[in-house]
Amino acid sequence: MTAGTRNALLGATGIALFLVLWETVGQLKLAGISWPPLSAVLEMLTDEGRRPLFQRALVATLEETAQGYLWGTTAGLALAALAHLVPPLRRGSDRLAAVLNSVPSIALGPIFLVLLSRDSTPAAVSSIHVFFIVFVSMGSGLERATPAHRDLFAVLGADRLKRFRRLELPAALPALASGLRLAWPAALIGAIIGEWFGASRGIGILIINAMQNFQIVLLWCAVLLAVGASLVFYGLLTLLERAAYARFG
Amino acid sequence: MAGGGASITIDRASKRFALAGSSEGVLALTDLSLEIAPGEFVAILGPSGCGKSTLLRLVASLEQPSGGSVSIGGAAPGLVSARHALGVAFQDHALLPWLSIHDNIALPFRIAGRRVDEAAIARLIELVGLGRFETARPRQLSGGMRQRASIARALVLEPEVLLLDEPFGALDAVTRRQMNVELQRIWSERRITTLLITHSVDEALFLADRVVVMSGRPGRIVREVVVPFARPRAPAVMRSEEFHHLVDDLTAALEAPEPEPSPSTGGEAIGSGTA
Ligand SMILES: Nc1ncnc2c1ncn2[C@@H]1O[C@H](COP(=O)(O)OP(=O)(O)O)[C@@H](O)[C@H]1O
Ligand SMILES: [Mg+2]
Repeated sequence: MTAGTRNALLGATGIALFLVLWETVGQLKLAGISWPPLSAVLEMLTDEGRRPLFQRALVATLEETAQGYLWGTTAGLALAALAHLVPPLRRGSDRLAAVLNSVPSIALGPIFLVLLSRDSTPAAVSSIHVFFIVFVSMGSGLERATPAHRDLFAVLGADRLKRFRRLELPAALPALASGLRLAWPAALIGAIIGEWFGASRGIGILIINAMQNFQIVLLWCAVLLAVGASLVFYGLLTLLERAAYARFG
Repeated sequence: MAGGGASITIDRASKRFALAGSSEGVLALTDLSLEIAPGEFVAILGPSGCGKSTLLRLVASLEQPSGGSVSIGGAAPGLVSARHALGVAFQDHALLPWLSIHDNIALPFRIAGRRVDEAAIARLIELVGLGRFETARPRQLSGGMRQRASIARALVLEPEVLLLDEPFGALDAVTRRQMNVELQRIWSERRITTLLITHSVDEALFLADRVVVMSGRPGRIVREVVVPFARPRAPAVMRSEEFHHLVDDLTAALEAPEPEPSPSTGGEAIGSGTA
């Protein structure tokens, strides 16, 4: 308890220091005009007139991210389970995942653009990011069951499906939860990159517009929105992960 | 007294494990023969690494013999395990941490695809003294309680054969003795063919109908003693002179220097435990 409180205090102090530093560097123009003070950014972010703009961008990006997250998770889980249950598929699926992961998402964008519509490209890029993380974490999670538990299931005469459902799947949940936590920021980045290939709205579009028009403060607003969207869900998923470790770890 | 369960026949079984960097591998067991009658309780004693667990794993069909054969009631152990007729408890309790004690004990029904017999579970939970802990998770229990749950799980399908590999090996001496008394009581109610691996001479003598001593690796049988005490056995048995006498006898056999490697000696002295 005390260690936890101390950690929280230390964390809060660190963040506060960082924000103060940001403000000071901005006020004194120590890093030139591309580093505005925090107060200026917050002022624009909370400006009534701009609220619809930010809201639309945030909602669009969150929708794409959620879609990509869902698709990627579903595909990652399905392929990991299939590869686990049908060993001959394991080699091939590992390769496929490795190849997908080694192609930079910037290079995937144009391909999706050709295959899909402009507006589904962000979710598609996002889902590729998520797919890889979920596939790998679930795949390793399914190997987590202890030898003693495997022996027990073998002696009790469990077939492969029973072993999967009653042993390997539950034992995989903590690793999967860690993967799901890490996959959220990756999903968000995927969606933003995907937007650069011509989506009609989103945080990524906001970033591009701000850059092209040299609206530095607006650019920072977009960055803060992205960081916020990332951290909120990351925090929630951390709670899920803790619960998974407490129950299944 | 005729008991329940199937016979176990181990016929000149040997087991060689492959070992990286060695063409011979490890010879864990050689030419070991042992016959266990239906309803008989046999305890195996032997120095660490002599192949006791390997022997049990052969009977559990977790390993295949390199030579010779193992059968349960005339059938291959793999077939017996496939029809969910083996009960097992290891030194590691191997309870699933995400299931309650009740659900852990119900697990064999679910694995076998049978209807969960709540009455049988309740009776067993009562029998092993975990009545108030049905809904607890394994990590909330003490080591002794976890082992009791694991023994209840081993018994819940009324197996033909019960295999116990040092189930109390990780417990302190007092808890262990208490568990021995309980296991004796539980076993006396069912009399399932049982193979118990243990380090403890007291435990072997208190629980078993017959005690088998194995030599150092590769494991062979060097001594067999038929335990003369009537059942049910009270803990007082352990204080009798005869008990002490047998303990000394078996301890001496355990500590004996390696016998000369003559492959013809399967079991030398049988039934020396006469009163
Ligand atoms: N899977 C295995 N691979 C290689 N060697 C093994 C394996 N299992 C057991 N052994 C070896 O076989 C011997 C007997 O092991 P074990 O049956 O576990 O002994 P015990 O239970 O009597 O202590 C040991 O020397 C051990 O190292
Ligand atoms: Mg052992």
